[in-house]
Amino acid sequence: MTSLLPILPALLLGLGAMALLIVGVLAKPEPAGFTTWGAIVLLVAAALVSCAAPDTLLFHGLLKTSLFTRFADALVYTAAVAALLLALDYNRKEGIARFEYPILVLLGVLGMVVMISAADLMTLYIGFELQSLALYIAAALARDSVRSTEAGLKYFVLGALASGLLVYGISLVYGFTGTTSFAALAGLLGANIGYGAVIGLVFVIVGLAFKISAAPFHMWTPDVYEGAPTSVTALFGTAPKAAAMALFLSVMTGPFGHLLAQWQMIIEILAIISMALGALAAIGQTNIKRLMAYSSIGHMGYALMGLAAGTEAGIQATLIYVAIYVVMSFGAFACIIAMRRRGQAVEKISDLAGLAAQRPGFAFAMALFMWAMAGIPPLSGFFGKLYVFSAALNAGLVTLVIIGIITSVISAFYYLRVIKVMYFDAGAPDFDAVPASVNFVMAVGAAVTALFILLPAPLITAASAAAKALMG
Amino acid sequence: MIVNLAFYFFSFILLASAVMVVTSRNPVHAVLFLILAFVNAAVLFLLAGAEFLAFILAIVYVGAVAVLFLFVVMMLDVDFAALKEGFQRYAPVGALVALVLFGELFLVVSGWSTLAGAPAARLYPTPDNLTNTAALGNLIYTSYLPLFQLSGMVLLVAMIGAIVLTHRDRKRSLHQKLSAQHARTPEQTLRLVRPELGAGVSVPASEKEAT
Amino acid sequence: MPVSLSHFLVVAGLLLVIGVFGIFMNRKNIIVIMMSIELVLLAANLNFVAFSGALHDMVGQVFTMFVLTVAAAESAIGLAILVIYFRNRGSIEVEDVTMMRG
Repeated sequence: MTSLLPILPALLLGLGAMALLIVGVLAKPEPAGFTTWGAIVLLVAAALVSCAAPDTLLFHGLLKTSLFTRFADALVYTAAVAALLLALDYNRKEGIARFEYPILVLLGVLGMVVMISAADLMTLYIGFELQSLALYIAAALARDSVRSTEAGLKYFVLGALASGLLVYGISLVYGFTGTTSFAALAGLLGANIGYGAVIGLVFVIVGLAFKISAAPFHMWTPDVYEGAPTSVTALFGTAPKAAAMALFLSVMTGPFGHLLAQWQMIIEILAIISMALGALAAIGQTNIKRLMAYSSIGHMGYALMGLAAGTEAGIQATLIYVAIYVVMSFGAFACIIAMRRRGQAVEKISDLAGLAAQRPGFAFAMALFMWAMAGIPPLSGFFGKLYVFSAALNAGLVTLVIIGIITSVISAFYYLRVIKVMYFDAGAPDFDAVPASVNFVMAVGAAVTALFILLPAPLITAASAAAKALMG
Repeated sequence: MIVNLAFYFFSFILLASAVMVVTSRNPVHAVLFLILAFVNAAVLFLLAGAEFLAFILAIVYVGAVAVLFLFVVMMLDVDFAALKEGFQRYAPVGALVALVLFGELFLVVSGWSTLAGAPAARLYPTPDNLTNTAALGNLIYTSYLPLFQLSGMVLLVAMIGAIVLTHRDRKRSLHQKLSAQHARTPEQTLRLVRPELGAGVSVPASEKEAT
Repeated sequence: MPVSLSHFLVVAGLLLVIGVFGIFMNRKNIIVIMMSIELVLLAANLNFVAFSGALHDMVGQVFTMFVLTVAAAESAIGLAILVIYFRNRGSIEVEDVTMMRG
């Protein structure tokens, strides 16, 4: 049993998804609610089991579990549970309550868990594809809507191109070193650096940068965020981002750790462009989902700053940043999902006008998330930025930090504009009653975001231990 | 010598048909050239010693994937002439970018040097006493079993996806329910009426549904 | 392997470039874009197989097999999304779309 424990979460997800699929196919009418709750129970169970899993190298070095993978897994599970809770009511009202959706989410999470614990380029590729394919389908879930199917199509085309480049890069790395194992690659590339490995690495970075939607590989993000059903966007903005960022960290510091001098500059440039684009392009947006898309591009830029530092403190900072970002993000999406007027989902920022007078609690939660995303103390987002800035500063990346501070100030403008619209603009949003599940996610997100300052220690120490486990 | 000639011959056809795939006006032609490209790639696989994969490429790709493409191209009634419009405009810049990209790749791959430690780092050297298929099978069902299972999951996702996205319940189609037919009795279905001349018959709502 | 490795790599490199070129040239025609993606994956597979032959190592062939599996799944999903998109719009163009600005 102990030998099974490390892969038990993956087994639970995979077998559970198949069991739910059988139930879903046989039961009539479509048991969308049942499969959603079933998926949530499975995710929670997998999260609990994964906490108890020991550190091992599995299957001849294909998979590896450590404190780092458990940290990232926990983020993914949390985000997926939140996304499913948000989907529960929204999908039914939008008429897309398919029982397959939670099953696709489960299989996507399985892919994310596999790619987080990958210790071999082949495992990385399969996990990466498993989660990508599940997400392409999720984006096009509202199959009768032009916007949703177009989002799915754009996401698919660019995603498939990115994974094609990724696998081409992997082939060059394999050909140069003769192996795909992370441990062996780290040993071989430490002593010798060849063009083959560097070009391969560049292709791999392109593929991964696409997944976390770092500029200039972000083209799909605004359209997919806007077009996909909001419940699916809530998933896109959280779980895959956390998983892909964790993979980015483990690939860059693991097999390519000795090529730091080669990739540091690339990551810095990605971070700078992402932060700048996230700040500038978001200013003109009127659609809140598009705003969140540009905001997520910017946040990924800040998170990459920790990686660019290339130190253990940098990895810790990125992990803290991503954890905080995931909570802020699902909280903000809970607010966006709650924006319904007379049964119709509305997504213009101007629709929020006058919200504070009508629904003070709702408006306060939204304001909290916007403040936190802008990085204003004493909310959680401030500490995320504090950690990445100090890590980058200690690594001597002064330019990066200066640009980061400037873009934070610029981006504060559009976050605060949302607050201004809610509190000072005249209007009557007349939003429908918010369902309990959405309220719950919103409340949890708001509580964690606001009260993080009182109890930061658990996250900081967990991230520190995870970073230590990764850097070995 | 013969092998080298075969290599040049098949790789020329492969590249030429790849060019035709991306430039041909008619997508049906593009799919046919794609099939040609895959068949030639399969021959190159053979030359590199990957027999099993060569057959897989021919069977899975030509047999399934390319035919799937052909099916979709023919099923969707698309005005393809209109889709070609932008091509001429972008072609020169695109070709230039492609040339630069290839030049860079060429510099790397033409003088390819494998790391000195690579032979020692190999995970599973090709066994000499086994056929290619047996060697591949030995690995896939042992060391790479979890990945084999996961690629099954990938196919499951594809299956679920195709059904979720495109399958529609035909609400109007008429299914035969044998048990319901057999359970019917004359009392349920037959009612004898003797209407007055010119008065007509009033049909209860419950009986209207059946028609 | 009787043919030299760099020959294979050059062919694969050309195939990659043709695939990428095809994606950017046929921006309106999604079906051709999907075929171009198949070409990119074929380039990677050719690399793997060539390296596997040159290194006398099986890992490259195992990897190719998984890439083939994934590529088949990917094209099935891509075509499914394309079909529903066509049902909604009656066209497979993406560039003229004004629903969402890129």
